[in-house]
Amino acid sequence: MHQANISRPITDPLTTSPSSIASAGLSRAPLSTGERAQVGGLVSAGEATEPLVHVDNLRIHFPPRRAPIRVVEGVSYSVARGETLGIVGESGSGKTLSSLAILRLLPRPAQIAGGRIVFEGEDLAAKSDEEMRRLRGKRIAMVFQNPGFSLHPLMTIGAQLSEILAVHERLARKDADARVEELLRLVGISDPGARIRQYPHELSGGMKQRVCIARALLCNPSLVLADEPTTSLDVTIQAQILELFEELKARFRMSMIFVTHDMGVVARIADRIAVMYAGQICETADASTIFSDPQHPYTRALLGSTPRVDQRSTRASGFRLPTIGGSGPTIMQQGDGCRFATRCPEAGPECARLAPLPLAVGPRHIVHCLKRGSAGEANHA
Amino acid sequence: MRLTIYIVRRLLFAFLLMVGVSLIIFFLVNAVGDPIELMMAETPGVSAETIERMKVHYGLDQDPLTRYFIWLGKLLSLDFGTSIIYNQPVGSLIATWGWQTFKIQVPAILIALAIAIFVGTTAARRQHSRTDFAVMSGALLGQSLPAFFLGILLILIFSYTFDVLPSYGAYSTRGYLWGSVVADGLWHMVLPVAMLAFFNTATLTLLMRSNMVDVLKLDFIAAARASGIPERRVVYRHALRVAVIPVLTYLGLLVGLMLGTAPVTETVFTWPGLGYLYVTAIHQLDYPIIMGASMVIAAMLIAATTLTDIAYVLIDPRIRLE
Repeated sequence: MHQANISRPITDPLTTSPSSIASAGLSRAPLSTGERAQVGGLVSAGEATEPLVHVDNLRIHFPPRRAPIRVVEGVSYSVARGETLGIVGESGSGKTLSSLAILRLLPRPAQIAGGRIVFEGEDLAAKSDEEMRRLRGKRIAMVFQNPGFSLHPLMTIGAQLSEILAVHERLARKDADARVEELLRLVGISDPGARIRQYPHELSGGMKQRVCIARALLCNPSLVLADEPTTSLDVTIQAQILELFEELKARFRMSMIFVTHDMGVVARIADRIAVMYAGQICETADASTIFSDPQHPYTRALLGSTPRVDQRSTRASGFRLPTIGGSGPTIMQQGDGCRFATRCPEAGPECARLAPLPLAVGPRHIVHCLKRGSAGEANHA
Repeated sequence: MRLTIYIVRRLLFAFLLMVGVSLIIFFLVNAVGDPIELMMAETPGVSAETIERMKVHYGLDQDPLTRYFIWLGKLLSLDFGTSIIYNQPVGSLIATWGWQTFKIQVPAILIALAIAIFVGTTAARRQHSRTDFAVMSGALLGQSLPAFFLGILLILIFSYTFDVLPSYGAYSTRGYLWGSVVADGLWHMVLPVAMLAFFNTATLTLLMRSNMVDVLKLDFIAAARASGIPERRVVYRHALRVAVIPVLTYLGLLVGLMLGTAPVTETVFTWPGLGYLYVTAIHQLDYPIIMGASMVIAAMLIAATTLTDIAYVLIDPRIRLE
């Protein structure tokens, strides 16, 4: 039943928490067959193309265990082979934690409290530490936010990159060096033969990020996690790095999870977009759908507050860039309801209590909002 | 090439520093008063002629500036003069007694460094765990205990109560252990080395732990883990290389500290080292030894800091050499 994989949190009782099963059973009908077909629509039904990675109802908690701080609550998404998923959200919305969870490299004391991560058909929680280690850098690689800090300051570029090859592949020294140089050339670094003898502090920020990207691609991984890879760079360099990502995406045909808070960035790079707010997913859809037909109130507010070239915020035109009322969520006290409810213009009393279960509102378009869908309001009344 | 220039410049600077130190030492000691007068003050009944003859014999009849240049000239050819009390050349006295100090201090530092790197790193990897807490408490206790107190405690336990280790001296006075000079020397080294190592370990472990805690949180460590580099390698190759730099700086300071603590250690264990020589020379107003030993101690401190600076450049490519 891979065609319905995106709506799995509703239908798979093994992986959903008892409370959400209860509320799903009581208040919300499972998706109709018609809707299911739509959900799985483009993932060509019947064919055995399971997603490369499937994150299912992921929950990440910080201690204390008795009353955990639930920083990521019930996040689900899938990435197909060759597809780029953009995860958009504010700082602290759990974007980075959920990608680190895929590598099982959560910083202590954060812990995976529930859910499943299936990568290439294998449940990552079932793997030993050693198996996970062999997977990192080889099949799943990561590009970090700040290239200035993510390279070892006292090792040459060449030493850092060839060490990774030495760890994962049996290559002769000469072949490894050739591979490193080839990749550096691919990410647009001129004269890689000289660069490999240089230290990170001798390179510019953009150069360093290119090196980090080369490092991620060394072993030809099937999934690349890019955590805000353009955020710390100048705008012009940002554009260059984005261009590079687009180029490499086409060339390596890898899947990518691209985490960012920048709608403009995600519009360029992502095939699909998941919008996150305070540890929950609000809406998932194809990139064009998110921009043309946003359904979740948060997505709408977010898009509404993004500056556009055709709008001028001048006193003469009387236009002011809209903002989202209220202030950011406190992650400390969170109930089971929608976490955006306190700031949501459409929220009703039920929104704060009931978990916003996923609902397919269009082809490959899922919204987590009680106020959406034909039966939504009636069911929760 | 730039490195050579840097090293030459550092050495030149060290030499100038030594000249400055020699000025301070000479005129400070000179300010205390005429050594012959001071010594004779305790032995009444010496005629003025004898005192005058002694002054001429030691060259003390000349003006201070001339004496300074004579002293400096002799220093350059490593001639420190002759000890008044021992009536031996000060240079060879410092060499013999200094070797005894070296013999206990260097092993103590190396042992402490090895333990500190391992224990400090282990504690840092388990920050806030019980292991970490135990290491921190132990190290703080070790750091707070006065060195001589620990020395006396060691003597009380191992020499007095159990009588398994000697409490004083570098060698047995009657018959060597197992008839071997080497075994006997090592046997005598155990307690002083243990005391010094304990003290150094405490400080170095705390330093190592706090550096490691900071370094392990840095992005390039996360990146190394995310690249599938084995954890042991991430910690002991990637993190250690960065975390150990401040420890090396401290090691340079430790050489100075070691000469500062030597008088205490060596007095507690009646160890025939430079510190002991220095303390007795001060008691007995043996000027050539006081000045010679001060110069040697200063030279070692300056050498240690110079070497640390050069080591920095070799370890950390980010340090710019202009």
